Amino acid sequence: MSDKSYEMIFCIINSGFSETVMDAAREAGARGGTVIRARGTAGKEAEEIFQITIHPDKEVLMILVPKEIKDAVLDAVYKSAGMSTAGQGIAFSMTVNRTVGLN
Amino acid sequence: MAIFGKNKKTGSAAETRVEIPAQNGSVAPFRLELLITIVEKNKAEFYADLIQSFECNFQFTAPAHGTAKADILHYLGLADTDKAVIFSVVREDKLDDLTYMLDNKFRTVRGGKGVAVTVPFTSMIGTSVYAFLCNAVNTVKGDE
Repeated sequence: MSDKSYEMIFCIINSGFSETVMDAAREAGARGGTVIRARGTAGKEAEEIFQITIHPDKEVLMILVPKEIKDAVLDAVYKSAGMSTAGQGIAFSMTVNRTVGLN
Repeated sequence: MAIFGKNKKTGSAAETRVEIPAQNGSVAPFRLELLITIVEKNKAEFYADLIQSFECNFQFTAPAHGTAKADILHYLGLADTDKAVIFSVVREDKLDDLTYMLDNKFRTVRGGKGVAVTVPFTSMIGTSVYAFLCNAVNTVKGDE
């Protein structure tokens, strides 16, 4: 069960874009994901400085992928819902120590 | 749904509390990991209680949903993809037994299939918080 061959990708995106991200991730080899509703907290000051509008309703999409396809999935997520798109997403991955329930 | 340090079915965490062993040069003898468990919504409480019995003092549950498409759900005869994500802080030395138990329950409980992963903590601030999270006493006095 101790298995470091998987990574968990977290994508924080504007509400309603999880389908778009998931479609892109599937094309890169991901199988499925889980979505949690969330709220962003960026302040007005940051919005003015960076000339962006923060959509407070967010979705956190968690995708567990094998290490080998992590870069491809992250790339696909960035292209489909990166900061320059309407999804205004950020994505990062974390190595997981153990996995249960994948087989 | 948020669950903080309750012990419903199993022995209380206070009964099994351990003393932090003195280790040279280490202020954090127990490593902690974040256990992320994704299960069906109606089984969230069952799994939260199960995890809690492994000396887990802090966990919270967030409502979530899966990403399966409507046509696939229809094909499988499923109505929805409502899930729950349980975030639990667990001591590393408890994880072997806990993951074994979770694996067993995922296979045997009807409608109880799920996925769990662990992510290690790398740092933490506050000894009392650390003692609470690893269910241990005799911590260093003060916030070091």
